[in-house]
Amino acid sequence: MRNDGNKAKKKTSISRETRIKEFKESLKEFWSDFKQVKYGIVGLVLLIVFILMMVLEPFIIPFPEAGERWSDITYWIDNPRSAAPAWVNWFSGKKNTVHEFLTEPELQVTDTPQFQVVEAEFNYNYKYDIPPGELTLKALGKGNVVVEAEIIRPDGETINLVRKNFNTRNETEIRIPLGNEAATRIINFGREFESTENSRNVQRHLLKPMEILFSKAQEGILVKPEPLKGDYRINVKAIIVGKDSYIKDPEVVVSGKVFGFLGTDDARRDIWSGIVVGTKWAIFIGLLTAFVSIAVGIMYGVTMAYFGGWVDSLMMRIYEIFVSIPMLPVLVVFSAVFSPSLWTLILFMCVFYWTGPVLTVRSMALQIKEETYIEAAHALNASTGRIIFKHMIPQLIPYAFANMALSVPGAIVAEASISLLGLGDASVVTWGQILHGAMKSSAVLKGLWWWIVPPGLMIALLGMTFAFLGFSMDKILNPKLKTR
Amino acid sequence: MSDVIFELKNVKKWFPARRNLGQLLSGERKWIKAVDGVSLKIKRGEIFGLIGESGCGKTTTGKLIMKLMEPSDGQIIFNGEDVTHLDKERLGQYKRNVQMIFQDPYASMNPRFRAVDVLTEPLEIHGIGKSKAEREELAAKALEAVKLTPPEDFLGRYAHMLSGGQRQRLATARTLILSPDFIVADEPVSMIDLSTRAEILHMMKEVQQSMGLTYLYITHDLSTARYFTDRIAVMYLGKIVEMGYADDLIDKAKHPYTKALISAVCEPVSGKVNQSKEVPIKGEIPSAANIPEGCRFHPRCLYAKPECMQGEDPELQEVENGHYVACIRYKEIEEMGTSWR
Repeated sequence: MRNDGNKAKKKTSISRETRIKEFKESLKEFWSDFKQVKYGIVGLVLLIVFILMMVLEPFIIPFPEAGERWSDITYWIDNPRSAAPAWVNWFSGKKNTVHEFLTEPELQVTDTPQFQVVEAEFNYNYKYDIPPGELTLKALGKGNVVVEAEIIRPDGETINLVRKNFNTRNETEIRIPLGNEAATRIINFGREFESTENSRNVQRHLLKPMEILFSKAQEGILVKPEPLKGDYRINVKAIIVGKDSYIKDPEVVVSGKVFGFLGTDDARRDIWSGIVVGTKWAIFIGLLTAFVSIAVGIMYGVTMAYFGGWVDSLMMRIYEIFVSIPMLPVLVVFSAVFSPSLWTLILFMCVFYWTGPVLTVRSMALQIKEETYIEAAHALNASTGRIIFKHMIPQLIPYAFANMALSVPGAIVAEASISLLGLGDASVVTWGQILHGAMKSSAVLKGLWWWIVPPGLMIALLGMTFAFLGFSMDKILNPKLKTR
Repeated sequence: MSDVIFELKNVKKWFPARRNLGQLLSGERKWIKAVDGVSLKIKRGEIFGLIGESGCGKTTTGKLIMKLMEPSDGQIIFNGEDVTHLDKERLGQYKRNVQMIFQDPYASMNPRFRAVDVLTEPLEIHGIGKSKAEREELAAKALEAVKLTPPEDFLGRYAHMLSGGQRQRLATARTLILSPDFIVADEPVSMIDLSTRAEILHMMKEVQQSMGLTYLYITHDLSTARYFTDRIAVMYLGKIVEMGYADDLIDKAKHPYTKALISAVCEPVSGKVNQSKEVPIKGEIPSAANIPEGCRFHPRCLYAKPECMQGEDPELQEVENGHYVACIRYKEIEEMGTSWR
């Protein structure tokens, strides 16, 4: 008896091993077929890129909370408004200042019995032609704090910028827009070098403090400034009075005209972060919708074919009703009335997308149903469920995979369309939502192409990825379906 | 228990024919009479051959016995029990006792199933064996029974990795695994290479003897039927025209159709190869939708007389011990001997 048991165990393990081996072999075979299809490889590479984007999201976006705080304007406050991508500098003769955060200054702390002095020195290398829009001094502080700031230019000139007093009970963010606060001082600095005539003629409100600050100290500094490139030093001195008072995390934000990899929108949001965060949603929406609708479609088609007769006719009529309803208008009305969450939106898309594979599956299942092995299963008294799930559906799996990949783009585009119309789930950053924002603030008219092209391109690329994968799988797996 | 394991009493299977508008309006119904009143008794432990041309209804008879379709009329009796119409539970029991081997061993197994899946499926369906391991052990034993040894080599293979003969052995193993009483073998060797045919039949016979099985062997091939079966029934257009012991029936065929079938068998023996053969039959098998009046064989029969062309179909009558013929002129034909021309 015991011997028998051992024998049986051995057999099972053998068959499991062979199964794994066979699986590996079939995978290898699939891969060698797949390699032949060029666009399949393109699709695969793109898919890997998208997956990497998804996985590495926290490491590749400068604003890690972009997903959760997309509509939170305070999160984006330090960014420039409607800034072009940084790389446009490569293509223009006059270089725009790149938006920069000057962190980690050289700190020096001096303690006296009455107060504490914190000195922070920021070094900024200015190498552009068009000066920044603003220099903002930022810090977290509490209690009684006096902040002083001066700037030492590469030519040795020093300008005292501000001296400000803060008195807060709780920790607050101290923000000092230096250009704005010190406008008069900077303009006066400029007037020292400008000819009297020019100085008199120039209109005060047309002068830009930052332009003066970053220009050569010479005649024409007010009317025709020339950029002074080199190392600027911003010295910040904070005098802290009182025991509980403190100041920390000082930072200077150089508000540039160009920003990051993909620029910002008119709400100062980093578009690159939005794009990366949107990737996972696009893939999620696409795959979930495709999976659910294909699963339903296959079940539906197989059921139709298996039962035949009036069941088939009835299900066919129901199918025809769903096919003949135009999805987008209904989806738009539905979204407008119910303002759905992402989940309801996916569910609703599934309600329309399941029809995709039905007819093909039905015809394939009708063919499979007549196979002798189905008859053999009937002769063995196999139940309907067993015949459908063990004998018929496994034959349709390759088709299902190809079809699934092919219906991913549709779902992504549909979600994007709904979002573009402003009817999507606004709490989720999808590419469609980004496009909706662009449309709402007429980005096209304003020429903010970096707000429109990237999300649009990403939708197209992701759609292409799955379309390529689907086509190549279709090409590889379908002939196999016909051979036994 | 009686000696007779299986009995068909005047079993009919009529399929409705497609009607044209006129027939639809007049309410006229036409039927394709695939099986048109078959009665036979199969004794326990024998191998019963059912022979006929393609389209004569022999496979339909097999399917009726397998309960893959419901008969239009008549009675099917298995082990003394009327099984014509069964409820779900008893149908499960019945399908455990009656198994079928299909003609095409390539098509009768799911291409995605390995041998072990093919063999454990009936066990799973009928709830035999407690664990997977136990079922796999039974599967291995079944493979041994059909001489696919060592079973370990075959359990993990897919059907497409087996030769035709091996597949039909596997198909046989699948039917044996439930230890049935009765097996319908629908042309089990017609798709197999000639060289392995005898081997498979021999294996089937061995299994039959060791397990005390009863076979219904459906075929169009007289030579294997004579080799394999104990008794033979010849079917023509949905009806049995002659029935008797295998040797008796073939050596002393009485019905003109049986005679025609016998003389149509090719002879590979030297000296007879080039001998031009006159097959004593004319025309093609008529459509089952339009069965001729009188004796259904008369349009093709070379002996047909006016009385054959009208009235009722001749009934099967016992002419010798266990030899039945459905022909009103069998005696005259016998007297004519071979000089029928």
